[in-house]
Amino acid sequence: MTRPSPKAIHAMADVAGVPVSAEVATRIANSIGPAFEGFAAVAGTLPFDLEPATFLVVQAAARSKKA
Amino acid sequence: MSTEPALMSLTAVANAIAQKRFSSREATQSCLERIAQWQPRLNAFMAIEADAALAAADAADALFAKGNLSGALHGVPMAHKDMYYDAGKVVTCGSKIRRDFVATTTSTALQRLKDAGTVRLGSLQMVEFAYGPTGHNSHYGPVHNPWGLDHITGGSSSGSGAAVAARLTFAALGSDTGGSIRMPAHFCGVTGLKTTVGRISRAGAMPLSQSLDTVGPLARSVEDCALLLGLMAGADPDDPTAVAGPLPDYAAAARESIKGLTIGVPTAFYVDDLDPEVAAILDETIAVLKREGANTVQVELPDQRQLTAACQLVLAVEAAAFHKRWLIERPQDYGPQVLMRLQNGLAIPGVSYLEAMRWRGPALAAHLAAVAGVDAVIAPVAPVAAPTIAESDVGNSPDAEAVIQRLTRFTRPVNYLGLPSLSIPTGFTRGGLPVGMQLVGRSFDEAMLLRIGAAFQRATDFHDRVPKPA
Repeated sequence: MTRPSPKAIHAMADVAGVPVSAEVATRIANSIGPAFEGFAAVAGTLPFDLEPATFLVVQAAARSKKA
Repeated sequence: MSTEPALMSLTAVANAIAQKRFSSREATQSCLERIAQWQPRLNAFMAIEADAALAAADAADALFAKGNLSGALHGVPMAHKDMYYDAGKVVTCGSKIRRDFVATTTSTALQRLKDAGTVRLGSLQMVEFAYGPTGHNSHYGPVHNPWGLDHITGGSSSGSGAAVAARLTFAALGSDTGGSIRMPAHFCGVTGLKTTVGRISRAGAMPLSQSLDTVGPLARSVEDCALLLGLMAGADPDDPTAVAGPLPDYAAAARESIKGLTIGVPTAFYVDDLDPEVAAILDETIAVLKREGANTVQVELPDQRQLTAACQLVLAVEAAAFHKRWLIERPQDYGPQVLMRLQNGLAIPGVSYLEAMRWRGPALAAHLAAVAGVDAVIAPVAPVAAPTIAESDVGNSPDAEAVIQRLTRFTRPVNYLGLPSLSIPTGFTRGGLPVGMQLVGRSFDEAMLLRIGAAFQRATDFHDRVPKPA
């Protein structure tokens, strides 16, 4: 997963309806870059059928195992 | 045990009032005297409601005189992080934007404590909109650590940490989205319980991240946290994410021996780059737990950096979404660091956010598999004791995110996985600052953490130490 560039961030913030200056876009790019890099090994690798609610399924299984 | 009511534990003062050894007014007056002494130094309270508190205490005493006891905390004075809605009260959320916001509902967690009989002392300071780990607040000033006034309390439950440590309130609600209960518990030398996502209703608590937010107490002991958890946990029609089902007897769990339990010690990440004093205290804590009968084994956890990154993606997007209207209409009314962090969420694509959410289930499954052979994992809350207010006052400077990441790197993986974690005071640095360790459990197994933490506190006195006014 590639970290967004300041130019891309500028455009995304515009689309989100909260425009930011070029300076802020650069600062955001530096702030969130490590998160993108940290998640890069996972991004794009998840199986097709996986959905967010799987978390609740795993959590519930842990709870019933405990009970 | 001290005879000054404010110095007693929550459990002890509740028993003392119930046994008529002293009144709610005496307990409340004792807290108010300490608040008057400490507040100018700490800035821990957002609002002090002395007259109303004494009137409520008198009402509690009058009710009791007629033979009526409201509940397990009848007449016990408390104050909470100023983000729990209390109908008719101003709830600032530590912000300028909500400086005059009057809640029209009462949060479920708070209502359950009220139903148990608590008396409101006022409200406690916090980081603006609970979005920051240090305890700075550009609108209301930083909260100061009672163990060293030049040092941070940690955040975002900054007032809760300071007020419990200085014995201004018997306990306080905090909230933990990225470490905001455990961090102030660690830096201020108190006990803090981050609950499992779904354990306590979040209805009426200011939202920051709907996937990560958790409600929990900061208190003077594990026993007190067990009492509070038992009162607040469980299903709530106003919060469908609060899980139904029978609750364990948390107080009973806290009385059990830990003989034969197995505690996992991570082989990496949580033991890397620790301040030497924190590392030594971790070793001493493990030694105490062994003396109490627990076994320890090394555990190899999945890549925690990936969990931290995923947590950051989820938190940034959800926080930005909650705040979008104000980001458009009132950006000038945010403090610089909170505005900066909220803007970060604008730059994360929807697909990246959903990937981070989709991975949460497999990541939790992998973690649970890695800890299958242990009852809990022990780890530092942070790699250092409390930094100074000056050195961590990074605002929206270019290195702000790096400072935030360094402080929260041991807490965020737990938030991403939605796990429970108990922070307990485990020692002091040579400079007199507290150091805490976190016990991380399986989903919904707070009882195990309370059991281990209480055993540690029966063997040590770190949680009983009280800071002295400078």
